[in-house]
Amino acid sequence: MNKDVKVINDRLQPRFKRVSQTRYWLQVADDHYGQTYNFFFNYQRKWQRLKSIPLHTITTYDLAYLETVVSELQTLTKLTIDYVGFTDQVWPERQQLIQKKRHGYE
Amino acid sequence: MFVYNETNLIEGQVTPMLTLDYRREPHGVYFLIDNKSFYASCECLARGFNPMKAPLVVMSEADNTNGGLVLATSPEAKRLYHLQANVSRQRDLPNDPRLVVVPPRMNLYIQRNLQINAIFNRFVADCDLLPYSIDESILDLTHSWHLFGDTPRQVAQRIQHTVRAELGLYTTVGIGDNPAQAKLALDLYAKHTDDLIGEIHYETVPEKIWSIADLTAVWGIGTRTAKRLNRLGIHNMYELAHTNPYLLKQHLGLIGTQLFAVAWGIDRSQVAQQTLPKEASLGNSQVLPRDYQDKTELETVIKEIGEQVAARLRHHHQLAGEISLSLGWSFATQTTTKQNGSHQAMRLDPTDNDQAITQQLLYLFERNWDGQAVRNLAVYLSKLQAKQGQQLSLFTGLEQQVRNDKLATTVDQIRDRFGFTKLVYTSSLLSGGTAIQRASLVGGHNGGNAYE
Repeated sequence: MNKDVKVINDRLQPRFKRVSQTRYWLQVADDHYGQTYNFFFNYQRKWQRLKSIPLHTITTYDLAYLETVVSELQTLTKLTIDYVGFTDQVWPERQQLIQKKRHGYE
Repeated sequence: MFVYNETNLIEGQVTPMLTLDYRREPHGVYFLIDNKSFYASCECLARGFNPMKAPLVVMSEADNTNGGLVLATSPEAKRLYHLQANVSRQRDLPNDPRLVVVPPRMNLYIQRNLQINAIFNRFVADCDLLPYSIDESILDLTHSWHLFGDTPRQVAQRIQHTVRAELGLYTTVGIGDNPAQAKLALDLYAKHTDDLIGEIHYETVPEKIWSIADLTAVWGIGTRTAKRLNRLGIHNMYELAHTNPYLLKQHLGLIGTQLFAVAWGIDRSQVAQQTLPKEASLGNSQVLPRDYQDKTELETVIKEIGEQVAARLRHHHQLAGEISLSLGWSFATQTTTKQNGSHQAMRLDPTDNDQAITQQLLYLFERNWDGQAVRNLAVYLSKLQAKQGQQLSLFTGLEQQVRNDKLATTVDQIRDRFGFTKLVYTSSLLSGGTAIQRASLVGGHNGGNAYE
């Protein structure tokens, strides 16, 4: 397992409690000011506030690397991944748009 | 100190108004720059959000926050839910699904603060930049503003744009002829204008400062000071500026004259000159996660905090000649006994030894504690002096003393290298111990993930 994937997985597992009526997902943000990719673990119980826990920061600012990390995480956790700040960027391998719609808070 | 040089009548005003000769006061160009909802903005940017658009709050959920303490709120959250930073509790937060709640990461904010100050450093020399708090800095641009624009306001805009372009953060700028004016311009005007810039100059003091009706809006005046001023018949800044300064000094002491100077927009401090405290002291305080009533639990936590302060003392190569212990009673005890707590200081032979310090602390505790439930603890060491050698005592063996000193330095070295939690006293594992929990805190809050 990739070292970054391991750090992310180790940090999210204790939080991922699979409580009923609760949505869990991952958020990946492109921090173009700091030139990093930031990972967050988000969860929200129905009608409650959204909680967002920082998991990890990847300093290798390279989309190809991010793609490998993300695909590994997807197979490992099966969690939905939300992308923020990636509008108009395309996965180098899959050749698909990363983020189809601009996030409302961007 | 203050010379009333002329009396003039302002149109439409019946009473003669005193003016002040400002010519001999220091005239400079000072900026006080702060970040709009700093912690919340940092968290928004890390998530790829615009700091102005996302309703986000930073909430500390440590054991001792009684559910949760809101440290910062983004402008959008403030607008939607009328929240205030630092005074809101978790119970005041609405259960709105739009609201994003995030834990604090103090290390991230410190890192951002350093980056911002590095940008400021391009506009002023090192000695003219004074970081005032984690999100505020004072810049003395007297000598350098004309290099970056035609007016100070233009320079302020340029700084704002640079910070926004490079870090994404929004900054508010107070401009004044001296630091106090800049601070007032920031607090009273910059935060409420569209371009996030406020200005106060000597000429505009009557219009900008005296027009303030709410005393507590002014820097340095809290609710208690406002009450004391009210008792003197002072209810707004105009009245404060037109009160006899000697009367203020008589009733409020030195602070009275300081407030009078602020009311006239006067500040003679020099940013480049470092002010040294008259007497340095070192200490730590903590709010306990619950009320402590058990004697052994209290002793455990007092020992821990004593050792922590002693370790800091050794780091600074200092010896302490005085020690003080403050105990704050729990809310219930405070209401029934009408006492807030106890505080006592005592002299000791200059030392930096763990045992000597904790022994005295426990003695002070024994004397001041009578079974009350305790919620706050503070330990301070003062009368510091440089450690030039070890003062040997006649009553303990020489070898023993040298060995104790060596042991303490070795423990410090191990902790420096591998982290505090790698070597702790077993007593910290007893119920009541908080040292292990507190080791990862920065400024009392979560520091963030260690290995980013």
